[in-house]
Amino acid sequence: MRVLIIEDEPDLLRGLAQALREEGYAVDTAEEGEEGLFKAEGSDYDALVLDVMLPKLDGWQVLQRLRKTKKTPVLMLTARDQTRDRVKGLDTGADDYVVKPFDLPELLARLRALIRRTANQTRARIEIGEVAIDTAARNVFHANVPVILTAREYALVEYLALHRGEVVTRTTLYEHLFDEDDSTLSNLLDVHVSNIRKKLGHEFIVTRRGHGYCIEL
Amino acid sequence: MRKLFKSIRWRLQIWYGLILVVVLAGFGFTAFQLERGRQLRRVDDESRVRIAALFRVLRGPQPQGGGLPPRDGGLPGDAQHRPPPQEDPLRRGPLPPEDELPRNPPPQDGPQPGRPFGDGNPGRNPPPRAFSVPAEEARFYDGAEPNSYYYIVWTRDGHELSRSANAPVIANEPPRAGADLSTDIRMRGEVRESFQFTPPGECVLVGRSIGPDLAELRRLAWLLTGVGGAVLLLGLAGGWWMATRTIQPIEEISATAVKIAAGDLSQRINATDTDNELGRLASVLNSTFARLEAAFAQQGRFTSDVAHELRTPVSVILTQTQTTLNRDRTAPEYRETVEACQRAAQRMRRLITSMLELARLDAGQEQMKRMRFDLSATTQDCLELIRPLAEERGIAIHGELPVVECAGDPERLAQVITNLLTNAIQYNNHHGEVRVTAQQQDGIVLLVVADTGKGIAAEELPHVFERFFRADKSRTGASGNAGLGLAISKAIVEAHSGTIEVSSKPGMGATFTIRLPAGAVAAAEPVA
Repeated sequence: MRVLIIEDEPDLLRGLAQALREEGYAVDTAEEGEEGLFKAEGSDYDALVLDVMLPKLDGWQVLQRLRKTKKTPVLMLTARDQTRDRVKGLDTGADDYVVKPFDLPELLARLRALIRRTANQTRARIEIGEVAIDTAARNVFHANVPVILTAREYALVEYLALHRGEVVTRTTLYEHLFDEDDSTLSNLLDVHVSNIRKKLGHEFIVTRRGHGYCIEL
Repeated sequence: MRKLFKSIRWRLQIWYGLILVVVLAGFGFTAFQLERGRQLRRVDDESRVRIAALFRVLRGPQPQGGGLPPRDGGLPGDAQHRPPPQEDPLRRGPLPPEDELPRNPPPQDGPQPGRPFGDGNPGRNPPPRAFSVPAEEARFYDGAEPNSYYYIVWTRDGHELSRSANAPVIANEPPRAGADLSTDIRMRGEVRESFQFTPPGECVLVGRSIGPDLAELRRLAWLLTGVGGAVLLLGLAGGWWMATRTIQPIEEISATAVKIAAGDLSQRINATDTDNELGRLASVLNSTFARLEAAFAQQGRFTSDVAHELRTPVSVILTQTQTTLNRDRTAPEYRETVEACQRAAQRMRRLITSMLELARLDAGQEQMKRMRFDLSATTQDCLELIRPLAEERGIAIHGELPVVECAGDPERLAQVITNLLTNAIQYNNHHGEVRVTAQQQDGIVLLVVADTGKGIAAEELPHVFERFFRADKSRTGASGNAGLGLAISKAIVEAHSGTIEVSSKPGMGATFTIRLPAGAVAAAEPVA
């Protein structure tokens, strides 16, 4: 999952980015509205964490302009917790709201729920044959036995599971699993897939030659 | 119910009603009595006239041909053949002595006092005399008329001398009230009778049924009662209406006050007519409410601004600590987290210091020194302090600072100047300029700080001295600027009885002007 955080307070931005990376997200950051909008329009993020008070373009303006081209789920961070602010945010196209000061676990849970909802998956637990994925605890079971996956491997499994039945291209996977600073070689993706197959069964991920990967229904 | 009658409207109504009832009753009673008196007096006056005429008949020479006997010619005769009953003259009481008689003159056309009437001897029964009423007089006693009079004349010894045909049977002659020769009046049922004794002792009685008059008086009484009642009702209705009209503004004020008390401070009393007492009260209350609302709004805004300012540093601390504590970290990682927390805490401390300072200035607790000092020298010190920051950004500072004496607190004014200079540098363009001038004119000290930055937009100019206002919305957390600097500067300048103003053209920079009174205060103190 790849997330963009737009927040002008450097300490907060850094803390958030670190927390999300440790949760297995690929995280991009922006410190002001214009840069944030440019990045958000430039790639397909799985979610956006957007502060309201920003230099150059404030959060409302970023959201308004972004909604002309993208449906990326947006989680607003705001210091104002008055109803009219929330209404304004939701009406402008925000998908969820977190009021500062927030608890990190709550922010992470909301972000997970937001991404899940966007993939039309309402429950935190996804079951595919003998494989069960707990997206809240970030655990994977094979025949009820916990399987240890690396963060990258987990992110890959979760992304494909959320888009079950779809063929996901390699480009899309790169976009969603690696942030802008990753200088990953393309064959690393095949290494991750091969490792997952070893742990969860060879048939778990199907390769469509020339197209991409798929977890079948 | 008790509560209801305690309302001003009801009290007004009750008092008003009581007064109206008393006034109407008094008026009606007086009118009735006047009319009754007038009616009775009319009857009595007429009776007196009749009695006088009958007196003339009694005493005067017998009419010669001109006099007619009463239409019922038998009357005088009738009196004649009934011999008056013998009565002990003593029973009638003693007659007054002759010499006292003139003191009781009979009214009007009565006989002359002291003039003998008949034989004038009270001790003897006078012989029965012929009594004939003249024709012009007799027509008053026509029994065919409903309101006609009747008369009865008794001799001195109580015999009926004459009576008109319509006279009712009266068993006893009116009591002789001593020597009283004036006209007496008595009521027998609906009959009013006037009688008078002649000095010799004859009694003439003229009466009339006043039934119709009384009936008319009763009708008048009912009419007065009816009209009075109607007027009372009308008056009460009018009073209610007036009370309602009078009370209505009070009730509006009260209703508005209730709404305001319930928390809706935006309510205002609808005061259309501000010239009357209540209108003035309403406008005074309205302006009070407006100030109250403004104060509440300011307080609310202030509180929410403070909370808002605290949210970001608290978020930093929460996020940093929660992330860091998620797993074991290396020493540099912990250090980084602690440093971030420290920055957040420092930012909060700055905010709290500024807030406390503002609160003290608001409450007038901040004691300003009053000493004479050279404002230019103070400004020059500030310039030197801030010059490194300006040089870092390539900004040139020009000072035009002749000696300008001023009274006040040099430290607090230095704080204002430093704040203005910092802003002028922060919001300036790279390689811009800051120009500071001080001068004295007409008892006023002027300090002007002008920059060549991007200026302030016209719509933001009125707000720059407001708390937590930032010309650009960027929350540069690093600068820790909470938007309180200019608010504090303004408060300090105003504590010196001065003013601070700003003018700006976007793109041409902003100019802040401070005006201070030129040290009339505490002139005795030495120049610092």
